[in-house]
Amino acid sequence: MLVLKGIAASPGVAIGPAVLLPGENVALSRQYIQKNEITSETQKIHQAVQKTLAELDACEQKVLDTLGSEYANLMSTHKLILQDPAFHKAILHKIEKEQLSAQAAILFTLQELSAEFQKIEDPFFKERRNDLLDVGKRLANNLSSGKDNFLASVKNPSLLVAHNLYPSDTINLQENQILGFCTDVGGKTSHTALLAQSLNIPAVVGLSTASKEVHAGDTLIIDGENGLLVINPDRYTLSNYRKIQRDIKKTESLLKTINHLPIVTQDGQAFKLFVNYDPRTDNKDNKRLITDGLGLLRTEFIFMGTPIPPSEDEQYSVYLAVAKRFDMRPVTIRLADLGADKRPDFPLDEFNQEENPFMGCRGIRLFLKNPELLHTQLRALVRMACEVPAQVRIMIPMVSSVEEIRHVRRAFNGVLEEFAKQGKHPTNKIALGAMIEVPAAAIALDGMIGELDFISIGTNDLIQYLVAVDRVNQEVAHLYDPCHPAVARALNTIIQTAHKRGKAVSICGEIASDAKMLPLLLGLEVDALSVTPRMFLRVKNNIRNSNFEHCSNLAQAALLMGSSEEIRNLIEQNDKHENP
Amino acid sequence: MIELDLKIINQLGLHARPAALIAQTAGGFTSDIHLSKDQVSIDAKSIMGILMLAAEHGSTLHLTVQGADEQQAADAIKQLFENKFNEEF
Repeated sequence: MLVLKGIAASPGVAIGPAVLLPGENVALSRQYIQKNEITSETQKIHQAVQKTLAELDACEQKVLDTLGSEYANLMSTHKLILQDPAFHKAILHKIEKEQLSAQAAILFTLQELSAEFQKIEDPFFKERRNDLLDVGKRLANNLSSGKDNFLASVKNPSLLVAHNLYPSDTINLQENQILGFCTDVGGKTSHTALLAQSLNIPAVVGLSTASKEVHAGDTLIIDGENGLLVINPDRYTLSNYRKIQRDIKKTESLLKTINHLPIVTQDGQAFKLFVNYDPRTDNKDNKRLITDGLGLLRTEFIFMGTPIPPSEDEQYSVYLAVAKRFDMRPVTIRLADLGADKRPDFPLDEFNQEENPFMGCRGIRLFLKNPELLHTQLRALVRMACEVPAQVRIMIPMVSSVEEIRHVRRAFNGVLEEFAKQGKHPTNKIALGAMIEVPAAAIALDGMIGELDFISIGTNDLIQYLVAVDRVNQEVAHLYDPCHPAVARALNTIIQTAHKRGKAVSICGEIASDAKMLPLLLGLEVDALSVTPRMFLRVKNNIRNSNFEHCSNLAQAALLMGSSEEIRNLIEQNDKHENP
Repeated sequence: MIELDLKIINQLGLHARPAALIAQTAGGFTSDIHLSKDQVSIDAKSIMGILMLAAEHGSTLHLTVQGADEQQAADAIKQLFENKFNEEF
């Protein structure tokens, strides 16, 4: 038994056999095929070999042109490995005799051969193992469309282990028998973690070495509550976790009983609770939730995976579907926060040679430099608001100055006029707000708030910029600290400034679903929280079990504290007291 | 069937390029061609098999060839060894 400690990214406990995402690691689960599939699997191998050969030929020529014949020899060695009769025989034997799938046959052959190389003492010959693995991975990747296909081919409920999972991978998880996943990299607020929550599956990220420690078929426990990965647990641990799993299920069904109840504290203070919504991962359970509306629609996904920017029509149909999904309740739609780690495929000059993209041209900065992108998105949103009686709230990302807000307001008014000329008007007035995530905007909010109808605090980025920590950088991730006194004080400044002008404040970062932080946020008098559907009922339950007066006292005490440690002790003590 | 002992006289032993040359050469014949060292016998048409022998400078390999073109095959492979795989002049 081996226990790895990572970061809890999505709650719950999953138990089952491990599968490893190919391309990340050569180990894989034994996928078996039917007798009548043998011919087609063999055929796949032949096709993949031809495709790989063609690739290596092209590569060889390129290497020859650029690096010279010394390196090109390496490619011809790779070609020989690919055509090696012993390699082929072993793969075909695995398909024909053991009835393994083509992919599993390749990967297990690689594993066996590489183990043989591992035995060699001479370091030079031992190193040849890497040539073999390189060729083998190329071949495996050419078998099919790659990872998507791999995820689709997982036939038994399993736990997925990967070095890194991209949001595009996680989208394929739901329908494919993956009960939970864990990754070597990533933090609590990585987009992968957010997606895991919307998929309702447990996840642990930031495990550093999980993909190396785990072998295909190992029994795993993913403990998304405590951020643990247990590899090959002993009987005692296993039965313990089975019990925890049952308890969690019981709690989840209990939580459903509070769905229709109001969101008020025990002493009668009401709060609003929105959901962060992703139409790509919506499901039946999510649709049953009774919410105050949509607190954050990230629209970047509409701009991804397309060679040209999405048209007004395309965007309009997405927004229309979203508005219908939420009936008459408010829908908060954020203008695309492109840039930094979310780069579209269509070319934009601003991305060339950015050394520090998180401080570069992202969010509204990018849109103001590309006014046609802003114009199209605003038109699609206004058109939707003219069509259906939705309560549309448009949110501007990455605002750092009042001028940016004025620019967007002018563009927005321009679009309203365009529609007015055609005799079209939004059924309900559209609210224009900003996401407060840049410290400058938080500190100088009094100069901006007059131009805004609402604000929402994006705590993930706000904290990152406050403490100057890249949340995915393992070296400094521990400094990304929601308990830092600067965080509580910044939130307090923002909320008080907005309240003075009668504007409502919501919080839509990860901090909103952290049970220990909740009393602090409520005590700072935030008006609304927006959380993932996965966390919605848990947070609701926590609010309903809170005492507002008690939270206020806690917040006031925290604002007087000068160190993270004091604040952490305060909320930990409080949590122990409330949830003994 | 032809059997021969071949001594590795090039400095680097059977590294990637010589292994590739042997596999390529052997692959051009229809005969079954095997190389063995320390009781391990491998298909000489398999570059990975040859690499796994981890044959260093000074070691001796045993070559067995059986088939229609066995004489030509044995000669071609013997020549590779004697010419130090064309890499030392």
